[in-house]
Amino acid sequence: MVERQSPLEPEFHVGSHGNFEHGVEILLTETRPGSIVQLAAWPGEEKKLIAAIRTVTGLSLPDGAGGGLSDGVKSVFGFAPGKFTVADEDEGLAAAFAKAVTPAIGTVTDLSHGRTAIRIAGPKAEWVLAKFFAIDFALTAFPIGAGRSTTHHDVFAQIQRTGADQFDIYVFRSFARSFWKALCHASEEVGYEVQ
Amino acid sequence: MLITCPYCGPRDVIEFTYQGDGNRERPDPASQNFEAWNAYVYDRLNPAGDHNEIWQHSGGCRAHLRVVRNTLTHEISSVAFVRGDHGSAARRKAEDKP
Amino acid sequence: MSPRRTDTGGRIDRLKTIRFTFDGVAYTGHAGDTLASALLAKGVTLFGRSFKYHRPRGLLTAGVEEPNALVTVLKGEVREPNIPATMVEIHDGLVAISQNRFPSLAWDVNAVNQLGGKILSAGFYYKTFMGPVIGPLKGTRFWMFCEHFIRRAAGLGSAGSAKDPARYERMNAFCDVLVVGSGPAGLMAAKAAADQGARVMLADLEPRFGGSTNWSGETIDGAPAAEWARRTVTQLQGRDNVRLLPRTTVWGYYDNNTLAALERVSDHKEQPAKGEPRHRYWAIRARSVVLATGAFERPLVFPGNDRPGVMLAHAAERYVNEFGVLSGERIALFTNNDSAYRAAVALKKAGAAIVAIADVRSELSAEMRKLATEAEAEVLAGHAVVATEGGKAVSGIKVQRFDMLTGALTGDERSIHADCLLMSGGWSPTIHLASQAGAKAEWNAARQAFLPPKPTQQWPTQQWIGAGAFTGSFSTAEAIAEGRAAGLAAAGGTSTPAALPTVEALPGDPDPAPVFEIRAKGKSFVDFQHDVTAEDVRLAHREGFVSVEHLKRYTTLGMATDQGKSSNVPGLAIMAEALSKPIPEVGTTRFRPPFAPVSIGSLAAERFGDLKPERLTPMHDWHLANGATMYSAGLWYRPMIYGLSGETIEQAYVREAKATRESAGIVDVSTLGKIAVQGPDAATFLDRVYTNMFSTLAVGKARYGLMLREDGFAFDDGTTWRLGEQDFLMTTTTANAGKVMQHLEYFLDVIWPELKVHVTSVTDEWAGAAIGGPKARQILAACVTDTAVDNATLPFMGIVRGEIAGVPVMICRLSFSGEMAFEVYSGAGHGTHVWEALIETGKPFGLVTYGLEALGTMRIEKGHVTGAEIDGRTTARDLHLDWMLSKKKPFIGSAMMDREGLIASDRLELVGLIALDNRPLNGGAHIVEALDEANPHGSIGHITACCYSPALGKHIALALVEGGKARHGTRAHVSDPLRNRFGPVEIVSNHFYDPEGTRMHG
Ligand SMILES: [Zn+2]
Repeated sequence: MVERQSPLEPEFHVGSHGNFEHGVEILLTETRPGSIVQLAAWPGEEKKLIAAIRTVTGLSLPDGAGGGLSDGVKSVFGFAPGKFTVADEDEGLAAAFAKAVTPAIGTVTDLSHGRTAIRIAGPKAEWVLAKFFAIDFALTAFPIGAGRSTTHHDVFAQIQRTGADQFDIYVFRSFARSFWKALCHASEEVGYEVQ
Repeated sequence: MLITCPYCGPRDVIEFTYQGDGNRERPDPASQNFEAWNAYVYDRLNPAGDHNEIWQHSGGCRAHLRVVRNTLTHEISSVAFVRGDHGSAARRKAEDKP
Repeated sequence: MSPRRTDTGGRIDRLKTIRFTFDGVAYTGHAGDTLASALLAKGVTLFGRSFKYHRPRGLLTAGVEEPNALVTVLKGEVREPNIPATMVEIHDGLVAISQNRFPSLAWDVNAVNQLGGKILSAGFYYKTFMGPVIGPLKGTRFWMFCEHFIRRAAGLGSAGSAKDPARYERMNAFCDVLVVGSGPAGLMAAKAAADQGARVMLADLEPRFGGSTNWSGETIDGAPAAEWARRTVTQLQGRDNVRLLPRTTVWGYYDNNTLAALERVSDHKEQPAKGEPRHRYWAIRARSVVLATGAFERPLVFPGNDRPGVMLAHAAERYVNEFGVLSGERIALFTNNDSAYRAAVALKKAGAAIVAIADVRSELSAEMRKLATEAEAEVLAGHAVVATEGGKAVSGIKVQRFDMLTGALTGDERSIHADCLLMSGGWSPTIHLASQAGAKAEWNAARQAFLPPKPTQQWPTQQWIGAGAFTGSFSTAEAIAEGRAAGLAAAGGTSTPAALPTVEALPGDPDPAPVFEIRAKGKSFVDFQHDVTAEDVRLAHREGFVSVEHLKRYTTLGMATDQGKSSNVPGLAIMAEALSKPIPEVGTTRFRPPFAPVSIGSLAAERFGDLKPERLTPMHDWHLANGATMYSAGLWYRPMIYGLSGETIEQAYVREAKATRESAGIVDVSTLGKIAVQGPDAATFLDRVYTNMFSTLAVGKARYGLMLREDGFAFDDGTTWRLGEQDFLMTTTTANAGKVMQHLEYFLDVIWPELKVHVTSVTDEWAGAAIGGPKARQILAACVTDTAVDNATLPFMGIVRGEIAGVPVMICRLSFSGEMAFEVYSGAGHGTHVWEALIETGKPFGLVTYGLEALGTMRIEKGHVTGAEIDGRTTARDLHLDWMLSKKKPFIGSAMMDREGLIASDRLELVGLIALDNRPLNGGAHIVEALDEANPHGSIGHITACCYSPALGKHIALALVEGGKARHGTRAHVSDPLRNRFGPVEIVSNHFYDPEGTRMHG
């Protein structure tokens, strides 16, 4: 088993940084899921795909655009019409879905290497993310479990809220280090810790 | 300018890519009617007022949208998926409204 | 000695002393002071020199509209010019300097410009420098000659050239109600909206919330107004649905209630906290907007109205009540309205002598006379100020009897000794944001002001609710009532039963007399910052400028950094009089963003400095550690060469290319665009997208494909691999990856929604290494397990799956270099692992790493096209790719590709060039049939790519040349006058090297 290399490695400095003498208000980490899979249903087959997600992950996806949930190990959310991102701590999700999602329902695309999952948590998470993304991070507008697709300049991002003040951001691997550096920079004023 | 994506909700125009006049009709692929092809490839309506446009939510869900926009005021009177309905999984809940 | 600090009063902290310098002189002030108030307290009245005439200027105002007292603030090496001293909060160590003076503020040699006032009148530049030919000097050349001196003499502060180390940030904010302005109206609106549960943002450009309550001296709910405001702010602060933004100027109002604001986060501090930005640019999306931006007091236009010591009445009131600074000992007032009387009373209370109140109105209310008595001031009703006296400060004024109906001045001039003259020409609501939002202002004859229109006349995508002085309701009681109503309406609430706060205020009629100018002898300034006089406006009219927009540009009235905040309406009034038209018929200009100057740094925000996003391949760190010189290709970083010490770029790429053709080379191709094309209709879709067939491609094979645009021109090329019956992996050029993706998505969504195909960017999923050369197969065979790589198992364009060093890989045998070559794909997270394994295995075989330069060299030798040739103007035929145009099916572009112009015989076609003089060629150089170095002409094409070819031992190039193939074997010349490169070339086929492809088929 060869371990996957993180794209953040040279810029991933565990410890407290920035204005942390006044307390750390941001926690940053890379969640490194074993599997990240994109599922896409043909029009009209969305319900069957949602059922397949339940079969494979045990997660019952709520109805509605951007709906999602996470049990701490597996996460799923909608990011586009008929399309969903599923992440799992373990590897092998793509193979499991390849059986459950038949060609009549839709397609399975393995992105386990292609996306990097960065977690930002803490009381200032909304504040720091507001520096990057022009979407409303307030809990009322962006409930726990829900997903959003948005962009920071050229960096495309899928964001899932996995807690009241916790967000998982899925970015393209090639952009991950650049985005991570920007995230650290933006967190300096409130003090942050890399775990 | 904000465009209310039926999936993602109201988003800034920088997240969208203009994909042209939504009134054009592509001729049958096998058609040799050059006039029709020429009109499809080059002719664009440029009304002062409501205009049917295609926008892609390229910085979001990437769906293509049919947008009716007033070219004088930027008022957007309707937005819909080009590719039809995607069922309730693609519908935003009431509380997500702008 | 005139201005001074009062012993008590004001919202400054007298116990806290702050040290700063102005023009090198050390001063002290107190916490809560602005640079303006602190200097005024020390008796400083001279703050700057005027734009054109270098006249001495002092403080006109106490706020953002200040046109005169502009300073440059120095922070280390960084200088920020043109900041109103009224907006600079002092802090320890603040260094400020005055502007537009030489050698010093007090002794300015350019002040002689005043004597030549006639010469520098309106349109001076246009007339002098666009005029007829004067001797050898044409207008423009004469201008260039004079420009140097004029630019030095005229103008504002100079910008710095040092790199700004400060941090700037952008914030995206969302709210239900944005309230702009925190005076009584704004505070009430914010509170009412917050009480309804709305998410509220309250922004004010001042550091202190409260607006006029800070200096009005009024009483609200039985407490001093400032105390009431402070209490209200404290209440708002405690609520989690309210965000308060002090020091925040809302400067732009855009579509759909998107507003732009600048928060000056740390300008008022000696040092920003760690990580704290200097400025924040807020992009605010508000469901509703309440504009409670107040009003600006207008100056009166009369001779000498710009002398230091002449100030707006409310400004003096503000200096004394808010900052504890008396602007003079013997103060005279000149007004056309009641509001100045309150200032007189306040200044009297604080210890000044009010020597006279000249009022243009002959009839005054008993209430105003009573206030004048309270101020112990002599009232000169039906009088006007016709001159001010003194040098760098007012020492006295001259008044004369004035008839406001005719404008006539009669009787003798009377001199009055005074060290400060306060003027009030009425008030103009601050309608800038509403105007930006498309609202057409309406002239109100009673208020003598432009008021915002009714909400029904608003632009459909920008809806606001106005309150307070902004709407022309100048009393605090009205502001409170309107503010609460606006806040409720904005939050979608209904009326609340609670009683409104009660206000005790001095009486006053909000309507001024319609007097803007006193026409007497001398320079009367309208626009203080751009030195535009009343006479300039009339001159513009005499010269035929009728439209207000033209007047503005000709005189530059209102075009300085203050955007005419104080000069706009007086200028219009004078123009209207000259035109003999009522003011509303002259119209007003539309205000545009920004409301106040905005730092460029804040607009660049996180893009400032090194934070532009970069894309890195999985092997990036290996490249750096192994001597690669990186090259930015779009956002990607790719190795250009892996240079050995002492090698030039050319030596390095020649070595790399040679070694590849002799033994083997490996290159990182992870940047190629990769798109998963999946679904039952994937093959059908690809047949439509590519010019050639893909439905016939067997699983486990790859094919080179070409795409056209709808208009028939070439678009992109690449190989597409069939991984399964319904599963394709498309590759695109690095540069076009995004465009191809959008192209595919468009056709699937808009044109062929019936096709069951999904496309997904998987560029980042795969690390790609291309290994090529005579030894490439041996190297692979030595490290790949689980599959053979011999010709039978892995033929040209075949695909196999196997493992390298315990990691699954996908190998496709295809070639860009012309050698036998393989692309090895692995999961991106295993990219470096596989790359290192290949290199380790390859060492005994003489494997080298090569970069973009060698890659480019080998592709030129092979005559392959890239973006340099597929440049949006070339067709498949131009590039000799017509063999790829299927005749069995329509495809995107097939209907348009045979148009007359696209098949003409004189089109530029791809050819090869060999330099016959054995010197390097240049990309972009023209090709000509006959050389004419003195007069280059007759281009028949141009070079798209060039290199030294180690395989041929020659300098070669690819070019697009008229006639193309027909010229093979003929001679031509490169003609490159820009780089002075001329010389003979031979035109040959673009396939320089191994045209039969025996090497790659092996
Ligand atoms: Zn969307």
